[in-house]
Amino acid sequence: MASSNPLIRLESVKFRWREQDNAILDIPTFEVDPGERVFIRGASGSGKTTLLSLIGGVITPQQGTVGILGTAVNHLQSAQRDAFRAAHIGFIFQMFNLIPYLSLLENVVLPCRFSRTRRNRALTRSRTLEAEANRLLAHLGLAVDSLPGRTVTELSVGQQQRVAAARALIGNPELIIADEPTSALDSDIRRTFLELLFKEAEAVGATLLFVSHDASLQPLFDRSLALADVNRAALKSGT
Amino acid sequence: MAIISLAIRSLINRRFTALLTVLAIAMSVTLLLGVEQIRREAKTSFANTISGTDLIVGARSGAIQLLLYSVFRIGNATNNIAWDSYQELAANPKVSWTIPLSLGDSHRGFRVLGTNGDYFEHFRYARNRQLTLAAGRPFTGLFEAVLGSEVAETLGYTLDQDIVVAHGVGAVGLSRHDDKPFRVVGILAKTGTPVDRTVHVSLESIEAIHVDWQGGARIPGMAISAEQVQQMALTPKTITAFMVGLHSKISTFSVQRAINEYRGEPLLAILPGVALQELWDLMSVAEQALLAISVFVVITGLIGMLTVILASLNERRREMAILRSVGARPAHIFGLLMTEAGLLASAGVLLGVVLLYALLIIVRPLVETHTGLFIAIEMLSARDMTILGLIVTIGFLIGIIPAIRAYRYSLADGMTLRL
Repeated sequence: MASSNPLIRLESVKFRWREQDNAILDIPTFEVDPGERVFIRGASGSGKTTLLSLIGGVITPQQGTVGILGTAVNHLQSAQRDAFRAAHIGFIFQMFNLIPYLSLLENVVLPCRFSRTRRNRALTRSRTLEAEANRLLAHLGLAVDSLPGRTVTELSVGQQQRVAAARALIGNPELIIADEPTSALDSDIRRTFLELLFKEAEAVGATLLFVSHDASLQPLFDRSLALADVNRAALKSGT
Repeated sequence: MAIISLAIRSLINRRFTALLTVLAIAMSVTLLLGVEQIRREAKTSFANTISGTDLIVGARSGAIQLLLYSVFRIGNATNNIAWDSYQELAANPKVSWTIPLSLGDSHRGFRVLGTNGDYFEHFRYARNRQLTLAAGRPFTGLFEAVLGSEVAETLGYTLDQDIVVAHGVGAVGLSRHDDKPFRVVGILAKTGTPVDRTVHVSLESIEAIHVDWQGGARIPGMAISAEQVQQMALTPKTITAFMVGLHSKISTFSVQRAINEYRGEPLLAILPGVALQELWDLMSVAEQALLAISVFVVITGLIGMLTVILASLNERRREMAILRSVGARPAHIFGLLMTEAGLLASAGVLLGVVLLYALLIIVRPLVETHTGLFIAIEMLSARDMTILGLIVTIGFLIGIIPAIRAYRYSLADGMTLRL
């Protein structure tokens, strides 16, 4: 597990939402290697989303270091953190991942509008951003041509999640964070979706951090762990 | 820029409320600009009614009343000026020219003005413009009339037509000087002033139609025909008022004082510019009130916009969290909301200007036929542009309020998607 050059490295991280609260996260150490597919299991309210927000640099811990790709993101200025996140991390959420007033393709290329790094990387693969979006969607089994004129809100939940996955993957971010992306899907679609996601993540060499309460998905991952195992705050509260 | 296109797409997504908001702002802008336009037109046409005249002299009353009846043909004089007094004052060496004015009769609702040839020579309006004839010639003899352009146009009169003058002013029920009809010998070009609504005749004609009258009625049993009256001495005994031009403006106040202190009879000399300003100030209360109302309407429109944006904010927290996850900074979210407000205000202003011109084009012919007021369709003035710029700026600035809220939300929510 311990590598000399981990992609994610959390050290003595403590986080509380408000000053007077108890720490919701207290993680002495947590590492993820490049290219790893890690499953984190935890009940709702156990601090999963908080952990992902910390790694994503949306929030910063009161103590400790959050290192991503060797950069201590919690020590960056907030604007730099935002830029870092945009360039290196792709997100997939549970549902309603898409901006309703943008078209399918526009939703996919959205990260390239905020990050030059993602944009340039996407353009090394395809001639235009739209072509790259089409390529990714096709790989995820969603042929755009077969969905003429549909707005994203008219897509099925499964289709929406594939669009979200394509958006997370565009421009080859090193880390894909998925927060319960399959919980709104039927079990048969769930498996297909995961397989496609794995395949694409592997193709670009992205690390996958997957959070869910659904333990049945565990066997598909390289490594799985319960959040309570790394979070001392959870132990104390007696989970 | 990503933020502007996002703001536009987001507004299109909410096009119904966005359109209503834009429409509300547009209406308020149209109202404000319309009021500005009318105010400006009114003031210009007001200031253009008379120029080049240094003093207006009438029987002692109020300055505004004198201005109203001598220049605007509104209301009546309380008293007349004796012909001898007029002659004496006109002989003042400082006086360059005078125009005698004799009022009191009318023709089908239009005032009849008795004057002499000096009127066509010395009367000036707008920026020192002289009266010109569109057709015919000035009156020279008795029972000849020169019509203002609107009189001829409204009543459909042409040269050589005979018209009958009525005693007193009003449209109906007046005794008519039908034994002595007038012949139209000239029609004046349009001036945009009360001259257009005036029938001009000579002082002698005014005297002639009244020789067999006394105290506003025909003297019974005494009828002097139009032929007989030609033989009589027709020097008027009185006039209503007269305009004065001086050799030098420097002597304006001394001549004014001399007239005001004239011993022969109580007279009043006014400076037309000063009286016009006084009259305008009198009316400007209404104008200011109108302006204030339209400013409030614009403010209402902008508050409506603020309400709409604020109300939409809560349901858009998810949208903002998604934007944050793909790399938007809180500053982007802030900019997005400000841009939306600015776009709504700009669209409102643009539509408002379009509405204004559309409205002007539609109502202009109607206003002109009904009131004789000619509304020039002009480019927006620098003042208008300033006002519009101000509205757009305020629109943007109002966007700060929802922007701050969205900024706080996006900091607090992070990437937690709230349903």
